[in-house]
Amino acid sequence: MENYINLFVKSIFVDNMVFAYFLGMCSYLAVSKSVKTATGLGLAVIFVLGITVPVDYLLENYVLKEGALTWLSKDFANVDLDFLSFIMFIAVIASMVQLVEMVVEKYAPALYTNLGIFLPLIAVNCAILGGSLFMQQREFVDIGEATAYGLGSGVGWFLAIVAIAAIREKIQYSNVPAPLRGLGITFIITGLMGIAFMGFMGIKF
Amino acid sequence: MKAIRNLFDKAKPHFEKGGKFHMFKSVFGGFETFLFVPNHTNKNGTHIRDYVDLKRTMVIVVVSLIPALLFGMYNIGYQHNLAVGETADFWQTFFYGFIRVLPIVVVSYVTGLGIEFATAQMRGHEINEGFLVSGMLIPLVMPINTPLWMIAVATAFAVIFGKEVFGGTGMNILNPALTARAFLFFAYPSFMSGDSVWTRIGAGNHAVDGFSGATAMAQAAQGHPITYSVSDMFFGFIPGSIGETSTLAILIGAAILLWTGVGSWKIMLSAVLGGTVMGLLLNIFAVNAYMAVPFWEHFIMGGFAFGVVFMATDPVSAAQTPKGKWIYGFLIGFLAILIRVINPAYPEGVMLAILLMNVFAPLIDHYVVESNIKRRMKRATVKA
Repeated sequence: MENYINLFVKSIFVDNMVFAYFLGMCSYLAVSKSVKTATGLGLAVIFVLGITVPVDYLLENYVLKEGALTWLSKDFANVDLDFLSFIMFIAVIASMVQLVEMVVEKYAPALYTNLGIFLPLIAVNCAILGGSLFMQQREFVDIGEATAYGLGSGVGWFLAIVAIAAIREKIQYSNVPAPLRGLGITFIITGLMGIAFMGFMGIKF
Repeated sequence: MKAIRNLFDKAKPHFEKGGKFHMFKSVFGGFETFLFVPNHTNKNGTHIRDYVDLKRTMVIVVVSLIPALLFGMYNIGYQHNLAVGETADFWQTFFYGFIRVLPIVVVSYVTGLGIEFATAQMRGHEINEGFLVSGMLIPLVMPINTPLWMIAVATAFAVIFGKEVFGGTGMNILNPALTARAFLFFAYPSFMSGDSVWTRIGAGNHAVDGFSGATAMAQAAQGHPITYSVSDMFFGFIPGSIGETSTLAILIGAAILLWTGVGSWKIMLSAVLGGTVMGLLLNIFAVNAYMAVPFWEHFIMGGFAFGVVFMATDPVSAAQTPKGKWIYGFLIGFLAILIRVINPAYPEGVMLAILLMNVFAPLIDHYVVESNIKRRMKRATVKA
């Protein structure tokens, strides 16, 4: 149990998707104009990451990895389907995003219009695929770790996007030099936030 | 005083529209309003006026930093004497530190104010006063052995990317002085941490046998017993950044800030509370020597006191709402001790805790305001 909590906390702060790996930047930059929409997208990302990482974990360990198919028959011990992992992971992610999209459209139509194209675009959000690929690379020992990692990464991304959304709401009244308004200043803020988040780097549990 | 006033009155027409020095209007205005309270009335916006304008507020903070600065100078000399085994009287000791610290202060002010003046000219706005404080804070949070060019680079980074790109004083999201320190900390770590950066030995001198130069926190982080006595740590006779060592000098500054109402007592108190809670928690679950350090010792070593009094209370980058200030301060104290103790990479957690909470301060404010709106909407009889 303890290592699940460790992994969860660590993936929020130490291995933050945005500030440590700078993944998922496109929707992070585009949908962070108001805290309300940012919260919606952040929750969607938590949900999608929390489902896809464990599902992909199962796929990886029971279908794709070399020798993963031995549970079917001993003859498959040499079969290595690893080359399929990208397309399989993407397929899982895309179907999950479809699900989220339908739920959001049904129960929160206002949010659905606010998020616009960025909701379906979660499917190609690099933070999501990144979550699955990091999972593959780190060789988690069980599905619990994968779930903790997925949820933690999602929460980290959520925190990052709501924090920057609040900052962007605040600096609406700032006299930012004209060439930097909009994306430019957002990049600079992201860099400065990255410096602040470096305080967690190197923490070992 | 009158003579200066006359001088300004005489020079003023040249800087008005049509005068030959009109392009330097903001420089002139900056000096004039620094020396005299401006007498012009507002054309629009708020009309409440007070003698305590932004410049006066900033000067109060600078005044409250002076005890820490003076003690810092003395301590540099004191640590030098200890390191090389010399004895010197009070004034020699102070003078040794004075001539080492003064260039750092000058470099910080010249770089920062230079950039401020230049941007004010370029963008055609008035000169912002915020750098008066940052320019004093930056030297105080640096180790004495930091090369001067690094101070200049860090100051330039902090002023340009920490402040000017947001539109100047009052618009920044991170505390500029801490941005400068964090920049150096990550860009040149070997100059900002370790045991040799805190004490000035000087060329041609040799350290006495057994001299280590380790700060109290470095000793604690490495699991050694802290060799400095509690009274030394409280009065500040320990190695450390220039202004951070003396808790007493900082408390004098804190008293000035609180008495004038410039610093927020809510933030200071809640940060100490947060530190206490975290310190006690660590004491309960102590598995190593550092975790077992009594919680109150955390307040007198390292930069905790300095950060909480002068950095966390920065009215621009802190949370703005009263309830937000409690949350903001509490989390600073909490995280500062946490990072200090459990992160082996950084012996000092205060800087990063404050920066992190600067990042989250707008979010805290947002939720406080939202919850206020929700609470009051419940009372509303007319449905929106």
